[in-house]
Amino acid sequence: MKNSLRHIWVIAGNTFTEAIRQKVLYVLTVFCLIMLGGSSFYTQFDFRGDEFKFMKDLAYAAISVIGLLVALLGAAMLIPAELEKRTIYTLLSKPVRKFEFIVGKYLGLTLLLTLFMALMAGIFMLVMWSHESSLTNDIMATSQGQPTELQLQQINEFRAGAYDPAMWQALTLVWAKLCLVTVISVFFSTLASSTVFIVSCTLFVYLIGHLQSVARDFWLAPESGASWLTTVFLAAISLLIPDFQTFNLIDEIIGGNRVLWLNTRHILLYTGGYTVIALGVSSLLFESREL
Amino acid sequence: MNEPDFAVSAANLTKTFTLEWTRKRLLALDGLDLRVRRGEVFGLLGPNGSGKSTTLKLLLGLIRPTTGQARVFGQEAGSLASRRRLGFLPENPYFPGFLSGREVLNYYGKLADLHGRRLRARVEELLELVSLQPAAGRALKTYSKGMLQRVGLAQALLHDPDLLLLDEPTAGVDPVGSRQIRDLILALKKRGKTIIFSSHLLEQVQEVADRVIILHRGKKIQEGTLDELLSVQGQRQVTVSGLTPELQEQLAAWLQNAGAELIAVTQPKQQLEDYFIRAVSK
Repeated sequence: MKNSLRHIWVIAGNTFTEAIRQKVLYVLTVFCLIMLGGSSFYTQFDFRGDEFKFMKDLAYAAISVIGLLVALLGAAMLIPAELEKRTIYTLLSKPVRKFEFIVGKYLGLTLLLTLFMALMAGIFMLVMWSHESSLTNDIMATSQGQPTELQLQQINEFRAGAYDPAMWQALTLVWAKLCLVTVISVFFSTLASSTVFIVSCTLFVYLIGHLQSVARDFWLAPESGASWLTTVFLAAISLLIPDFQTFNLIDEIIGGNRVLWLNTRHILLYTGGYTVIALGVSSLLFESREL
Repeated sequence: MNEPDFAVSAANLTKTFTLEWTRKRLLALDGLDLRVRRGEVFGLLGPNGSGKSTTLKLLLGLIRPTTGQARVFGQEAGSLASRRRLGFLPENPYFPGFLSGREVLNYYGKLADLHGRRLRARVEELLELVSLQPAAGRALKTYSKGMLQRVGLAQALLHDPDLLLLDEPTAGVDPVGSRQIRDLILALKKRGKTIIFSSHLLEQVQEVADRVIILHRGKKIQEGTLDELLSVQGQRQVTVSGLTPELQEQLAAWLQNAGAELIAVTQPKQQLEDYFIRAVSK
């Protein structure tokens, strides 16, 4: 058990190091940073009153899309590369179990996503702080350090918009969503060696996952009148595909609605449970795969 | 089945691959019986596609036999217990290019359950053994093929295994590197290690192997010690100096009277490899 944990950690560390040395990751990160940095600039286009919401919208969209690419490409590039370059032969000639390889790879990619999210969150906070400071300084300058009641209220609104603690909740949910995408990508990489195939299948599951709740409702409806074939199909989607619709809470948070941390915890638990099961199934499939 | 005298034993080992699209079946190894004694240097010979790599993969547990079974030190091939006692050098080894020689040995050492001071000492010892200490800090992507082969050997030796499986250990290596690898195999044999290696470079096999099998189209066609397989029965070779043409004539006549026959008189030659190594090491 102790050795297993040690192997997993060593493989995770190596995967993380390998991933952060991929050029494509730097390109994606720089692109995301430009989007985040640029969000402050776009507020010039008459968003008075809602500019912090606009900045949040843009930032979450950038982090989600670029993060999705990082999650998708991470597993789809690194695991097939181990097979193609046959480094896995050397690895499995050591007393390493196949499940340790799969879990280690997943954890390494999760570490990568965590670093990516932390970096993006840091830059995002910096951009928000910089924009809020600039607006506040403008008011202080025009009022010569003696702001009126209305201006003080405005400053407080800026601060509330810029330093909203619910942003952490939204960022946590984005991270969880990306971890779920990663585990699906890891699952497909245990079945196939083609990056294109893995990315396509993962994207397919990601899209279907946004409709999973519809399929589930239809499957569980007492009088749906569906044929047995449709029922089996809907049941398969409901049971196998994760419900990505549940992450729509992110939009609620960005929209300014309060979402209880309890709900966020439920989603994190759901993500954790699905990840454990998916990693278990991936390990079993990989165990039976000949290399 | 417990066979303490044998490092490796395999009975009726057969492997059939099914091609992905056509579902056609391909027989890669056909009923191989194999027994390798402890401390032996054992050569797997055969042309490309003869089943050498398949045999090594089966011993590692990377693939499962279609029928038959293989054991390593009495343990099922591929089990954790068997892998703890073996080291493997794949053909044309490839390692994560972003790591340095030292880093990659540390990585595989940790996976072989070595830690801390013991790991660090072992890594330095092996870097010295394979003459890679000056380049140990450089990224592997800057290494030559021969250097990568030596890193491969070092990682296979990390946990001081009793059995070494080497898949084409001298493939693509220059004669000097190839000689170093051969010397290393002989040094390891002296330390009681069992070595199984595959090769199609027959001269090199001849210099190190105690016993060989020859595989062809997945089937074992010959097995034995090199003496058994290569000695020409009923003939002896004598090397003399100062043999003038007259002496040679007298010798031939004398041999004929004694009931023997002089078959060939040739000029002994150095091996090109020995000549080359002496030339480049001057």
